[in-house]
Amino acid sequence: MTIHHHPSDVMLAAFAAGTLDPGERMAIATHLSTCARCRAFVDDMEYVGGVMLDDLPPAAMPAGSLAEVMERLDEPASRTIQVAPSSDLDDVPGLPDLVRRCRAGDWKWIAPGVHVRPIIVPEDSPTRVFLLKAAPGTRVMQHSHTDLEMTCVLTGAYTHDGTRYGPGDFDIGEEDDDHKPLVEQGEDCICLVAMRGDIRLSGLLGQLMQPFVRM
Amino acid sequence: MNANGKPVEDAAPWNRLIEAVAVSQDREAFAALFEHFAPRVKTYMLRSGANNASAEEVAQETMLSVWRKAALFDPSSAGAAAWIYTIARNLRIDAMRRERTGSARELGDEIEETVDDSPAPDSRLAAVQSEQRVRAAMAQLSDEQIRVIELSFFEEKAHAEIAEQLKVPLGTVKSRLRLAMGRLRTLLGDLS
Ligand SMILES: [Zn+2]
Repeated sequence: MTIHHHPSDVMLAAFAAGTLDPGERMAIATHLSTCARCRAFVDDMEYVGGVMLDDLPPAAMPAGSLAEVMERLDEPASRTIQVAPSSDLDDVPGLPDLVRRCRAGDWKWIAPGVHVRPIIVPEDSPTRVFLLKAAPGTRVMQHSHTDLEMTCVLTGAYTHDGTRYGPGDFDIGEEDDDHKPLVEQGEDCICLVAMRGDIRLSGLLGQLMQPFVRM
Repeated sequence: MNANGKPVEDAAPWNRLIEAVAVSQDREAFAALFEHFAPRVKTYMLRSGANNASAEEVAQETMLSVWRKAALFDPSSAGAAAWIYTIARNLRIDAMRRERTGSARELGDEIEETVDDSPAPDSRLAAVQSEQRVRAAMAQLSDEQIRVIELSFFEEKAHAEIAEQLKVPLGTVKSRLRLAMGRLRTLLGDLS
């Protein structure tokens, strides 16, 4: 698959730095699961993190701290709880483990040709995550009240301001964007969307419903 | 040479110490790793807004993970500092999650969950080479660019707060960060 649209360098670096919120992290991880180019950059940014860690001025650990850890070295290693992936999202292609582990709601019809399916982010996140499925030929008029919107195309494709977004592509919308993407003929377009803003879920469905118009 | 003028050969000995831990549970090697990295992880956590006690806890847990996961460390695909950095970073994400969810689970319980979708090994250059390349690229950034990248990596601050700290407008922080990252990408590309 040829990927033409990527998250910004700053976003990829924030992913490597671990400073994204949980919802944003899912969107970037989704892109990374199919984009070798961005993975390589994140990889480099982890080296940057390592170099900077190495160069940080040390802060003294308390006396006895090493001894404490030494005593724990022989503890059985597996306090680790392996969280089994939820199977809710098994039918959706192109999702990374980080997302596949999550529970998801059911597909809900919100407008002709358009369904959404919430993904349950397992902790408080200012960014909400959901799947959006639009039938071929649908014009998705999305007027958004959000600060930021990240869209990862999983299947199908849409055109937005003359630019085509296909599987693997990453589309970023900001507040003043006037979104009117048109879904390409062929297959359903399924996207993972991470959206930050003031919209509560019920409100979101309501808000989404209104602006979706079928051509 | 890195940004502070240290020789780049610094990296390899840490790799050998991790291998010694993996191969022969070498406690002296572990102690040497601890002495170097634990105080730096502590600084990282303090700058991320942790209090002293949790910064020390994360530093200890990070080193414990280094001990337990040493066998998973592949010196041909990861540099020691980058590897330890990602462990500490994941524990930090984990600690923040526990804060948000009020989870009673202990720090370190969920490390497996936090691992990111790691790069395919074949997309990496040899680790030492990667680290040298990154150091060489960073050495060409201005102090101001290093500073803004460092702030975005290590300080849990909104760009607005960074702006205040640097006494420049918010837009300036964003554009400085964007420019610094763009420059870094170009330099890394030229060096690969
Ligand atoms: Zn990409």
